[in-house]
Amino acid sequence: MGIRKLALAGALAVASMSAFYTSACAEDVKITVWSLDRDIQPAPNLIKDFNNLKTGITVEYRQIQFDDVVSEAMRAYSTGQAPDIIAVDNPEHALFSSRGAFLDLTDMIAQSSVVKPANYYPGPLKSVMWKDRYFGIPKATNTIALYYNKDMFKAKGLDPDKPPQTWDELVDTARKLTDPAKNVYGITFSAKANEEGTFQFLPWAQMGGGGYDKINAPGTVKALEIWKTIIDEKLASRDTLTRSQWDSTGTFNSGNAAMAISGPWELDRMVKEAKFDWGVALLPLPEPGAKRSSAMGDFNWAIFANTKHPKEAFKVLEYFVSQDNRMFKDFGQLPARSDLAIPPTGQPLKDAGLKVFQEQLKYAQPRGPHPAWPKISKAIQDAIQAALTGQMSAQEALDQADQKIKAVLG
Amino acid sequence: MNLALRDKFMLAAAFLLAAIYLFPLYWMYVTALKTGSAMFASPPSLWPSDPQWGTYGSVWESRNVGRYLWNSLVIASGAVSLIVILGTGCAYVLARYRNVWVDIGLFLILMLQVLPASLMITPIFVGFSQLGLLDYPRTAVILAIAAKSMPFFVVLVRATFMSVPMELEEAALVDGNSRLGAFFNIVLPLARNGILVSAILIFMQAFGEFVYSKSMIQAIEYQPASVGLNSFMGPNTNEWNNIMAYAAMYVTPILATFVLLQRRIVSGLTSGALK
Amino acid sequence: MRRFLLSISDGRGFDIGLVSVPLAFLFAMAGLPLIYNIVMSFQEVDMFSLGTFARPFVGFKNYVTLFSLPETWPILGNTAVFVIASIAGQFTIGFGLALFFWTGFPGSSWLRGLFLVSWIMPGLVVGAIWNWILSGDFGVLNYILRESGLISDNIFWRSDPDFSLWAVVIANIWLGISFNMILLSVGLSAISQDLYEAAELDGANVIQRFYTITLPMMRSTIGAIISLGLIFTLQQFDLFAAITAGGPNNSSNVAQYWAWDLSFRQYDFAQGATVSVIMIVFVMIASVVYVRSTRHEVRG
Repeated sequence: MGIRKLALAGALAVASMSAFYTSACAEDVKITVWSLDRDIQPAPNLIKDFNNLKTGITVEYRQIQFDDVVSEAMRAYSTGQAPDIIAVDNPEHALFSSRGAFLDLTDMIAQSSVVKPANYYPGPLKSVMWKDRYFGIPKATNTIALYYNKDMFKAKGLDPDKPPQTWDELVDTARKLTDPAKNVYGITFSAKANEEGTFQFLPWAQMGGGGYDKINAPGTVKALEIWKTIIDEKLASRDTLTRSQWDSTGTFNSGNAAMAISGPWELDRMVKEAKFDWGVALLPLPEPGAKRSSAMGDFNWAIFANTKHPKEAFKVLEYFVSQDNRMFKDFGQLPARSDLAIPPTGQPLKDAGLKVFQEQLKYAQPRGPHPAWPKISKAIQDAIQAALTGQMSAQEALDQADQKIKAVLG
Repeated sequence: MNLALRDKFMLAAAFLLAAIYLFPLYWMYVTALKTGSAMFASPPSLWPSDPQWGTYGSVWESRNVGRYLWNSLVIASGAVSLIVILGTGCAYVLARYRNVWVDIGLFLILMLQVLPASLMITPIFVGFSQLGLLDYPRTAVILAIAAKSMPFFVVLVRATFMSVPMELEEAALVDGNSRLGAFFNIVLPLARNGILVSAILIFMQAFGEFVYSKSMIQAIEYQPASVGLNSFMGPNTNEWNNIMAYAAMYVTPILATFVLLQRRIVSGLTSGALK
Repeated sequence: MRRFLLSISDGRGFDIGLVSVPLAFLFAMAGLPLIYNIVMSFQEVDMFSLGTFARPFVGFKNYVTLFSLPETWPILGNTAVFVIASIAGQFTIGFGLALFFWTGFPGSSWLRGLFLVSWIMPGLVVGAIWNWILSGDFGVLNYILRESGLISDNIFWRSDPDFSLWAVVIANIWLGISFNMILLSVGLSAISQDLYEAAELDGANVIQRFYTITLPMMRSTIGAIISLGLIFTLQQFDLFAAITAGGPNNSSNVAQYWAWDLSFRQYDFAQGATVSVIMIVFVMIASVVYVRSTRHEVRG
């Protein structure tokens, strides 16, 4: 379905709703939405637009913080104060759907003219599913790739159009680019002991032939050893262990790191603040021709099972989906859709970066889905940190993580 | 040592200590003037090459800082009033007697505030939602903060009452005052300064309270400045310069008021008002 | 009825009334949540059953599981180090500053006011600022140490397991100075100047006067400050979240952060509650020490 058709469908859906409600003359139905979006991000703006359409549904919005989404939601749900709609991080979706806290949307999606599962990338779609039923709709998606400073490549005699393709090349390039006298590290990424560390490491694990369910596969151990080499040889700052992706990429923008592994959310800031020529490349592979893989981030929409207005809530979600074509242009986020062509923004660096991220998205794999994902993730974080601080070898650390994960998976 | 010289030396030492101590505050003001990625520059610059004064103005406008500060003020004032009303009498009685019940009372008061707010919030939230208190979010937060800070107040004010001579109260009772009269006419005025200092300390803590407000106040119109500050921070969008500009606007008024006020409070104390 | 009213305004009822209302309030607002946590530590808690007390009891299972974890003892050890080092640092520096300003010189009371900054700053901001000051590459602390020649290589305060706990201790000492300083100042100003004059006439030097007059007269203040310091330190959470997040590899993890992490990051509420009960026991011991110390107080 093209953008125009989609917009039309959205308008039709809205029009039919308003017709219905003006004829019924009912009082407005109130739908509450919680998400982490702030004023310049999609949710509050789409809600404002939706409310202006006067469809007989009034949406109230509350912003919650990333760290609080699940705890606030659980607290509210167990005391009967849950909102109608919530946005949850994709690895946590299964936690709710497996317990029946989210509404099964399969039948509504089947009848919907706006929400079509076939339009979505497989990774995000898989994250809203539980036992082959749909318990949500992907809100947006993102992944990670390799940013690199082309000016620094040139200064060190490297070809700025040939970013590293394999892990060994990556380490090698990082060695060449590291320049302690100028306070420049070869690369920056995040191995922080929270979900960000897992998010950054899993693609490496998967490319190495492993995954969260076989975290001590030989290729995965190799990946962690590469990380350890990077830290031990000071090709990346030791603070990689405690720094978030956003702060790590900040050091790339300020010219203190020559490469950075991060996601498309960095594009706008980089365009504004990086005073050098940069490019984006696909994540390097263990060896040429190996299977690509990538992380999959961002949130999903879901409706709580105890909502009093499931139909109206779904209509609000349909409206959000109908606006997916605005996601990148207005808010710098990538819709989780393979059917939408993203128009160029006029920023050459940003548009070139976007192409790479779209390519990388094809290989994006969800974390889980598993209801006990946080425990699995914690085991992986612990292994990364134990190995990078030198308290265990990569093999030992991942063997231990594997045991913990096996216990969770049962 | 020459007295004037000693004064000068002490003053210089005081300035040096203050400079070291205040460095983090300075860093807050300076960071607000830097561009987003300049703060990750190494080596760090102690003064930005290109100060962004506009950050302050744009944050004030786009963030509605005024409304947030007003809510903080309402919440902090409510909590402090409640604490002073309930806590002063409690501290007075705990200072007046010396028996096993007082020991138990003190023990309980200390024990009750062991756990950090992040662990207390779930049961409090559950309880408040059952009582329907969450429909009055600011009141709910005031109650929760009062409970959290009261032990601190009681312990401090009790120490103040300990320094009020018992004989004065006894003399007032002999003169025909009731206990109530002696409390209000003699004991309370003498402990006034200690109560005031403790109340101000509590006020400042309540002004920055975050965990309870964040969970209980869902409507943005009633949220205090600490929650407003937090809404800047996301995993992929920490605009540190804006955060620091906001924090500077949030801290400076209280700081200024306090620096002016404390001169009176502390000089009142040091001049020996109690003697 | 008259007797009752009279008792309220002029008898035992007056005292009982003054104490019982606040205690009842505290019990409802702080005691019940505490009990909720304790009960939870003996139950199997499901994240969707938070709103009820009726959950299956499992006896000491949570405790057994907790103490079989490899990280438990190191984390409890970190907690003890954090508490003791923070209180010692805050108290010593705070007392030093209080004595310094107490000597009185032009501008001393005004300058003392500046030392309350850390009390006023919201925890979120303090955490963010120290996060930068302590960061390895672009942190100001390393910059100053390097320029002054004290170190040749950057210290990775946040990410080196040998330093991470101390990074948080440094920030926490800074945070606690103001509270210690102002309360000790108030305590000092309550000591009668006559005592010092008399001691000086008896030929006592500065150090003797400090040990024979200042410390004994400050006993109740010091007891209060240390026990409150203990509680504040045990409640310190923002700094951990902002600076190290308990890492790397739990080297800076402490009980209060761990309890939160277990409850709200891994959704293991029962384990989180179990850790908090261990903290309660810890503070209970400290509270007994405080209450015993008040036995020897002198009423002025």
